[in-house]
Amino acid sequence: MRVVIVEDNTILAEGLKLLLETGGHTVAAVLGDAEGLLGAVDEHSPDVVIADVRLPPAYREEGLRAAIDARRARPGLPILVFSQYVEEVYASELFADGARGVGYLLKDRVARVEEFLDALTRVAAGGTAMDPEVVGQLLTRRKRPLSRLTPRERDVLALMAEGRDNTEIAERLVVTDGAVHKHIGRIFSKLGLADGDTGHRRVRAVLAYLGT
Amino acid sequence: MGWERLLASGRAGLYLLAAFPSGVAAMVALPLLAAATVLMPLGTGSLLLPRLLTAVRRWGESEHRRALQRLGSPPPPAAPQAPARLRELVREPATRRALRALPVHALLGPAAGIIGLTGVVGVPTTLVEMSVWWALPEPATFLGIEAGGWGFAIVGGLAETAVYATLFFWGSPVVATGYARLLDRLLSPSPAETEAARLTGRVEELSHTRAEALKAHGDELRRIERDLHDGTQARLVDLAMRVGVAEQLVSSDPDRAAELLSQVRGRAEEAMAELRDVIRTMYPPILADRGLDGAVSALGARCAVPTRVHVGELGEVPASVQAAAYFVVAEALTNTAKHAQASSASVRIDRAGAALLVEVSDDGVGGAEGGTAPDSAEGGGEGGTGLSGIRRRVAALDGTTSVTSPAGGPTLITVELPCES
Repeated sequence: MRVVIVEDNTILAEGLKLLLETGGHTVAAVLGDAEGLLGAVDEHSPDVVIADVRLPPAYREEGLRAAIDARRARPGLPILVFSQYVEEVYASELFADGARGVGYLLKDRVARVEEFLDALTRVAAGGTAMDPEVVGQLLTRRKRPLSRLTPRERDVLALMAEGRDNTEIAERLVVTDGAVHKHIGRIFSKLGLADGDTGHRRVRAVLAYLGT
Repeated sequence: MGWERLLASGRAGLYLLAAFPSGVAAMVALPLLAAATVLMPLGTGSLLLPRLLTAVRRWGESEHRRALQRLGSPPPPAAPQAPARLRELVREPATRRALRALPVHALLGPAAGIIGLTGVVGVPTTLVEMSVWWALPEPATFLGIEAGGWGFAIVGGLAETAVYATLFFWGSPVVATGYARLLDRLLSPSPAETEAARLTGRVEELSHTRAEALKAHGDELRRIERDLHDGTQARLVDLAMRVGVAEQLVSSDPDRAAELLSQVRGRAEEAMAELRDVIRTMYPPILADRGLDGAVSALGARCAVPTRVHVGELGEVPASVQAAAYFVVAEALTNTAKHAQASSASVRIDRAGAALLVEVSDDGVGGAEGGTAPDSAEGGGEGGTGLSGIRRRVAALDGTTSVTSPAGGPTLITVELPCES
């Protein structure tokens, strides 16, 4: 994968570069702010952009704004927004234009290198990656309807909301693909969602249900 | 007209009676004061005058207290200690007021006393006189007319009794209240003086709350320091140690090294989560990103209970106040979601003059203040959360917290945070 990184903190940018290059990916450019993002995208045509939320000049939410703008300017550009803290409202704004090729993760997640690279690959391929913490917030909010789900079904729902596909869910929960499939069917019927959607559309449906 | 009326008239009579001796004393005090003033150059006066003035001032205070009691008004605020130096004593408003009231009391006090006395003893003495008129050495008079026989003694005596009774029941209360009103007017501090006293009190109160706020603020800093020191810093040391050991084991025991590194990763994740919590309690990042309005709206949107958020025109609000307001809303909504079983909640933030007003309410089961309420237990246990956390955080900024949460609800938490010093 060719990756463009937007991160002003050199320590983190260097670490990320090390992680990606060790994983066999190419870091095409590291930008210190969001100013030249579109230019860099056009120049390097990356498979995915990783953007920090806090960037110069004001260190507020420039990265989030830039990611939303860039996705509007270059539809289909996969972007992973990467932050030291996550907020549900940021997630809902980021996913407002669709869940295709979008990720929103805590920087903490780099500690699990393989999972992080999986998430990044998923986003690059047009999938979704939603941070478990945001998913957790969403699940607590919809406590009442979700109380109809079994604990295992809730686990499956959370992993779906994070953007994982059936195989990944099966791996995480150490069950068979078939079992996951059955769980998903029950979850959808209990929550009254249309089954049959796959990939990002399924994630979108789940997130929409959870209220992002 | 029963016992109460009798008692009230008795009290009025006693109030007037007491004016007699003090009125006479005032009569004596006046020439004494004059003499002491005249004697000032001789030295004797300088010894006498301060004592006299202090006594007059003290009389003024007690007379005023008596008058206010008579009028059913609250007692006057405690007067400051009488200054020892003559110059200050003379200049003091309390002394001047007493000196102004003194001649009036010298003149009217004994008269008031006589009215009181007449009211109190008039009826009984007339009744006695009426029954023993024939045995008196001097001829008895009723209403100024000499009694010559039983017939007139009874008629005249009853008429005089009626006059005294009228004086006792209606006259003395009116006179007593009137006299008390006069003294109150003479002895009351002027509005400017009252205002000065109020301001002095306010300054004392502010220095007190400010000292408390500084202490609470210091406690808050120490708590953050402790969190970082015992939490994050200790975890970093632990990480460095484990990485070091793993490095040594890489060639000799790669399995053990891999196990250690996996532990390191887990612990690093814990450290990151912990540090995020510490930062959030200090200054939530979303506040920096979106300001109080955006940050509190995000809290409302995130709450499990449907929450209406209203944020008014706030003007300039210091960062510390914004952080505290955010913390209050976050904690209050967490409590609502966890314990209140509410179907809706509401957050209001408005500017009220120099203060920021934060209100969080819900229609839940209430009881947030009770000893059995989970928040209080939790607040005590976790140190940084629940109502006690809100109180501490607000106190650190010299703000006030009020909680109404009767069993059965609803719950309303109101916090006022000063925005200007």
